[in-house]
Amino acid sequence: MATETGNETDSGTGTVTERGTGTRLVDHETKERLLSRSFYVVAGALLVFLWIPLAVMIILSFAVNASTFFPFRGFTLAHYGATFADAALMTSLWHSVQVATIAASIATVLGVLSSFALARFSFPFKETYRTFGILPMVIPGVVLGIALLIYFRTLLPQLFGIQIVPGFWTVVLTHSVYGYPFVLLLVTSRLYTFDESLEEAARDLGADPLTVFRDITMPIVAPAIGAGFLFAWIRSFEDFIRAFFVRGTMDVLTTSMFSMIKYGTAPKMNAISSFIVFVIAVVLAVAMNVGNVSGMVAGTEGEEE
Amino acid sequence: MTRNADGSRTETSGNSRRTFLKAGGAAGAASLVGLSGYVGEVTAQNPTLNVLTWEEYGDPELLNPIQETVGVNLKITKSTSSAKMFSSWNAGQYQQYDIAIPNNNYVPKMMNADLLAPVNQDVVTHQSNIYDTFQGFADNQFTSDGQMYGVPIRFGWYGYSYDSREIPEHEPTYEILFNEEFEGVDLSGEIIMYDNHFKAMSGAALHLGMRDAFEGQRVTLSEDQIQEVKQTMIDQKPLLQGYIAADPTYIKSFRQGNFLVGQSGRNEIVEMWDNGDDWPEMAVPQEGALAWFESAVVSKASNNKQKAWEVINEYISPQRGAKLAEVGYSPSVNPATQEHLTEEQNELYGSVDPAKLESFIPFKAVENERSWIEAWEEIKVA
Amino acid sequence: MATETSERSRSARERFVGAFTSRASRLGITTGPALIWLFLLLLTPLTFMVAVSFTSVDTFTYQIIWEPTVENYNQLFAGEGPFWQTAFFQSLALSYFIAAVTTVLCLVLAFPLAYLLARKGGTTFKVVIFLVLLPFFTMYLVRAYSWFLMFGPSGVINSTLLRLGVVNGPVGLFNYGVPAIIIGLTHAYFPYMLLSLYASLDGLDFSLIEAARDLGASRTAALKDIILPLVLPGIISGSLFVFVPSLGAFITPRFLGQGKVLMIGQLIEERINSLYAIGYGSAASMFIVLSIVVAFAVAFRYVSIEDLGGV
Repeated sequence: MATETGNETDSGTGTVTERGTGTRLVDHETKERLLSRSFYVVAGALLVFLWIPLAVMIILSFAVNASTFFPFRGFTLAHYGATFADAALMTSLWHSVQVATIAASIATVLGVLSSFALARFSFPFKETYRTFGILPMVIPGVVLGIALLIYFRTLLPQLFGIQIVPGFWTVVLTHSVYGYPFVLLLVTSRLYTFDESLEEAARDLGADPLTVFRDITMPIVAPAIGAGFLFAWIRSFEDFIRAFFVRGTMDVLTTSMFSMIKYGTAPKMNAISSFIVFVIAVVLAVAMNVGNVSGMVAGTEGEEE
Repeated sequence: MTRNADGSRTETSGNSRRTFLKAGGAAGAASLVGLSGYVGEVTAQNPTLNVLTWEEYGDPELLNPIQETVGVNLKITKSTSSAKMFSSWNAGQYQQYDIAIPNNNYVPKMMNADLLAPVNQDVVTHQSNIYDTFQGFADNQFTSDGQMYGVPIRFGWYGYSYDSREIPEHEPTYEILFNEEFEGVDLSGEIIMYDNHFKAMSGAALHLGMRDAFEGQRVTLSEDQIQEVKQTMIDQKPLLQGYIAADPTYIKSFRQGNFLVGQSGRNEIVEMWDNGDDWPEMAVPQEGALAWFESAVVSKASNNKQKAWEVINEYISPQRGAKLAEVGYSPSVNPATQEHLTEEQNELYGSVDPAKLESFIPFKAVENERSWIEAWEEIKVA
Repeated sequence: MATETSERSRSARERFVGAFTSRASRLGITTGPALIWLFLLLLTPLTFMVAVSFTSVDTFTYQIIWEPTVENYNQLFAGEGPFWQTAFFQSLALSYFIAAVTTVLCLVLAFPLAYLLARKGGTTFKVVIFLVLLPFFTMYLVRAYSWFLMFGPSGVINSTLLRLGVVNGPVGLFNYGVPAIIIGLTHAYFPYMLLSLYASLDGLDFSLIEAARDLGASRTAALKDIILPLVLPGIISGSLFVFVPSLGAFITPRFLGQGKVLMIGQLIEERINSLYAIGYGSAASMFIVLSIVVAFAVAFRYVSIEDLGGV
């Protein structure tokens, strides 16, 4: 890739010499073209930057020598076999899927209800309510993780006599809070652009509120709800730091991966990571063609760890 | 979350796993092999014991015979630190587990927090055969009101290891970890220390001749001594390749030639020897070496204490103890395990001269741990 | 439709609908569940965290001793030397530095790409956005890990350079350390910056720029007077979403620092996991929270909360 970038720059310089003798206007045009070309170069270099480490990892996942290119000892599928045969790792993957699904469902229900409140009604402390709702996304994972660890482990038992052993459900609760703002933001933005006269028209034609909701509102808002759920799901699935604090001794995928990196098990780590990149690529490609995910994403930034 | 709720959750996860993997067809046939193995384990009628311990205890060669002999299913939850074992049990998870196997210095903490059941001496019959040294440690550290709460299982010690192709043979000393040049070899950027405040700072303290602080019930470094250790380690930092946390990472990095000498346990080096690397040398510094021994404990909330002690007894039985030594590259506390190991294996992780044991400093609790951690943080940010 | 159903179910349905039509109950049903949830799982824990930062913890039982003390805050800044020499302060300062460099780097790198994306449409756009989004959706941990493979004395970069004969020994720059951490964080949070900038550039009327240029405005003037004010909200929100998580980063410094670097998130984690020093951890967390509150307060002078969400 480095050579390619070099070529781009060379041809750019060539253009300058060719056009160097032109009039002021042409010179301006050249500059324009140069600028636009250098933008392309930068953009191309950036894509390389974004992709190189992942590409290296994917290549290494098929390499016999899994931790670095040299000495190269050939390709193999053995690492994938070993990874999918690792019962403990597969269990933690399954935990992650369960946690993400339950947590994202809770976040979606809460987020959709709140979004309607924010978009349709006026009520006291509305801005506070909204700011407060975005908080879980903004608070760094370390802080949220520790706050909830102290809460579950020390405060609830000590002050209220409620015994919650850290594990599956504490992670679900934590992630349900974490995922909530993503649903909230996506669904409110959809509702704001929603043409309420459609609903009015339906009501005028005699439809009762439930029918209006089912036949008019839902179909328009559904894609945003779906995107919100997907976002909350992915946030939960990829979260390490919050789960790390509140998980007790249960492993989710990210905490298993953490131990794998810490303990230097590169072959399995490469394989499971590449597998996830692959799955996400497929899901994303589908989602981009089915729904307007890029637009959705461009509309919402997230924050993690 | 109650114990029951958690149990049922685990079961469902076992069943629906099949559906999930089928759905994600890309996982391929390889996953199904692992799956059937996993499902097979939980089908029998025997009671299930939950064990929180180190990875090697989950090795099928060790696990399966013990499950058969005792008539239980063992569900091993891997842990990577004794501190984590203690803190999770202390947070209420002793109710979820039957057995934990932390390092010896965490047993008294668990006793203090009232999490443990006393050892059933009638069941743990092999305990009478262990090295006297460990018998003595158990009597000292794990006994309260005439009841014993922990059973030593296996042990190892810390010193340093070096690349003998680059560094000549020498009188073992911590000097090598703290100097730019040693025996004519430039070590700048070629040194590794443990990424753990206790192990790394203890190494520095022993280097500085503070052995007396390691004599009593606890390690007692004075504030001045901690400051001296801190300064020494700050001065050492530019010489370091880095701090390494875990054994496999150390082995990998050592093999790749990233450093020449590093603070390490003996079991890492034995593992390297066993895998054909003959160049690493293990050294026990004359200033003193720390020794650890893992000790099994049973939760006071266990419903199967009898079975739990039977399992623990197997861990130090001559035959299984030998297998455990083999999979973890660390010797068993029961010398009778030597009969079940080859001569070569005995040399690596079987027979150990009891006289050698006398010279080791066992892990112990630290007086004023907060000061240690503060100093450790200052070293890290320096 | 409704008339065809039986009287009984009709009235049930009306009751159900009625519950939604009364204003009070409608408001209660929509705002209530999230309010309760966030009260129990966000507000209460955070409030208690503030309280806990003013208490101490029994070292044996891990129970909180409810006696007000500022000991934890003293500890953060106490040492033999002046306060800026304490581990906490040094670690916090280093974290600020790393987060700031990361933010600037992201901004500089993301702008050209965002500009291009905003001007191009069609297939190019779709492909590029896919290529950008995929790493963005890939697990954060995986991305940090991929750099863990790249760096190090025998990592992919160094071993490749050695193999190609470009260098004689491992290059220090490509060893683990602060530069590796900054690269790792830039890679991790770059997409947030890109998408923020893109969102604000997307609405930009590019004919404005051309008009300005036609009227004789210099390139820098056009940038300063036209583009910048319009893109400012995007820059600010993008910077926040890069700076804030970089400040509290844990995984990236943990793996790309080889133990020689201690960022604030690691310091807090170690105190909690080795000593269960929740008082100290809470007090230290207050400084992260405080930094964020300040950052957002400043940001809100230029952008509204909707801009942050890109709504």
